[in-house]
Amino acid sequence: MKLFWLETYKTFSRWRTYISFGFIALIVIMTEVVMKLSADEILYRMMRSFQKDFLIFGNVLNGWFITAFIMNSLHIHIPFFITLVAGDIVSSEATAGTMRLLLIRPPSRSKIITAKYLTTLFYTTGLVIFLALICITLGLLLFGHGDLMMNYQSKLRIVFIPEAEVPLRMLLAFTAAVWSMTVVASLAFLFSTLAENSIGPIIGTMAVVIVFLVLGNFPFDFFRMLSPYLFTTYMIFWQRFLDDPIPWQEIARSALILGLHNIGLFSIAFVVFTRKDIKS
Amino acid sequence: MAGILFLLSSELIQAQEDPGRYLDLIEKKYSDVKDYMADVNVHFDIEALKAPDMQAKLYYRAPDKMKVESKRIFFFPKEGGYFNPSLFKKKDFDVRFLERLIYDGRKAVRLKLTPTDTETSNKVYVLTIDTERNLIREIKISPSEGREIKAAVEYGMFNHFELPTHIDLQLDIPSDEPSGMKEFTQFGQKTKRITGKVEITYSNYKVNVGLTDEIFKDAEPHRLK
Repeated sequence: MKLFWLETYKTFSRWRTYISFGFIALIVIMTEVVMKLSADEILYRMMRSFQKDFLIFGNVLNGWFITAFIMNSLHIHIPFFITLVAGDIVSSEATAGTMRLLLIRPPSRSKIITAKYLTTLFYTTGLVIFLALICITLGLLLFGHGDLMMNYQSKLRIVFIPEAEVPLRMLLAFTAAVWSMTVVASLAFLFSTLAENSIGPIIGTMAVVIVFLVLGNFPFDFFRMLSPYLFTTYMIFWQRFLDDPIPWQEIARSALILGLHNIGLFSIAFVVFTRKDIKS
Repeated sequence: MAGILFLLSSELIQAQEDPGRYLDLIEKKYSDVKDYMADVNVHFDIEALKAPDMQAKLYYRAPDKMKVESKRIFFFPKEGGYFNPSLFKKKDFDVRFLERLIYDGRKAVRLKLTPTDTETSNKVYVLTIDTERNLIREIKISPSEGREIKAAVEYGMFNHFELPTHIDLQLDIPSDEPSGMKEFTQFGQKTKRITGKVEITYSNYKVNVGLTDEIFKDAEPHRLK
């Protein structure tokens, strides 16, 4: 536990750690201000399937909707911010030349790597919670509250969630988002144990995430067959908490697959780190 | 021979009678309805729109002012969803007689209404009118854009006026997909359609209460370009 807090202190005493928080705040503020200014256009895009045949009353563009909208847009970009720390946490020791010093001290290698991994997960969770807080707070302040309309354009479907259910659904969705992002963190963490510098793990993780996302979204049969084998396919399972009815089985399956990825990636990182040769 | 003569005579009667008179009778029946307000409940049974029942208060003032008041988000069908006695005026349509029939155990006629001014509207309506009570029981809208809407209306008596208590709306409309998706779906896939049923229930009617302009001031729903 002491090691974990020590690692956390080390991580949060670096200015690089706060780049992600700063950029997320900037992106969310800019997005919400722009959305406030172009509310009509957003509503038009969102409701175009229904606008010819339905009159729509009420506060559709509310804080909850804005939060879901930003989450939808940012789930591709958040991994980059996560890799900034997760891809650096082990390799930075090698870059700074502190690896040997670290490994000859009393705590075992397994304790060190576990503490670093837990710090990575702590940072990932903190980042997603920060995103949730800033999105919801600013969203509700600027756009007010109301029922949540989720527009699944790919399925041409609109799901209406009564406001009373929204906070709990959002809590579950953000918890799922944290869970999804831990896989990115685990991947970057593994790459970090393999590399001697931070750039490689960051670029490597982003390359994997982007390639998997692209492959998983191609509307061709071959890629559709491939998509169940890509972890990125399950990373959007947070959206299912904003569906009706909530597909619990699909959620459980996605969470389990992502969890297994976490275990697998950390196990490899653990083995690599504990067998690391520091004599050469 | 007698049968042929009967058929000819009924055809002759139908050709001679002015089908527009059925619209006149409805207009006359509701000429005293100046305004009304009612509670409305909308139930959706549409795969593309997963929503619980929505409630609102609807205000109408002749000839065409309508306002929906709801504290929450409210979807309301543009066509056939509310009762506007001034909608089907004989002067606005070219009316064609289609058939006589028995609807719900009562004598009825089916008329086809084509707008005389095709620039403002290209929607063709087929109305089924209960000729015993002068009530529009069914409205079928088939405009040119491939959308088909059918409304079946049930009435109740409120302040000596027969007003709708239940409208059963069946929709079969093409979805307006995002352009990117159209590009991907053009290979052998049909454009998706929004189909399903919307049930609208009206209650607590208050007729001719003197609704003022003030009520209809902010009547606009979300203006979608």
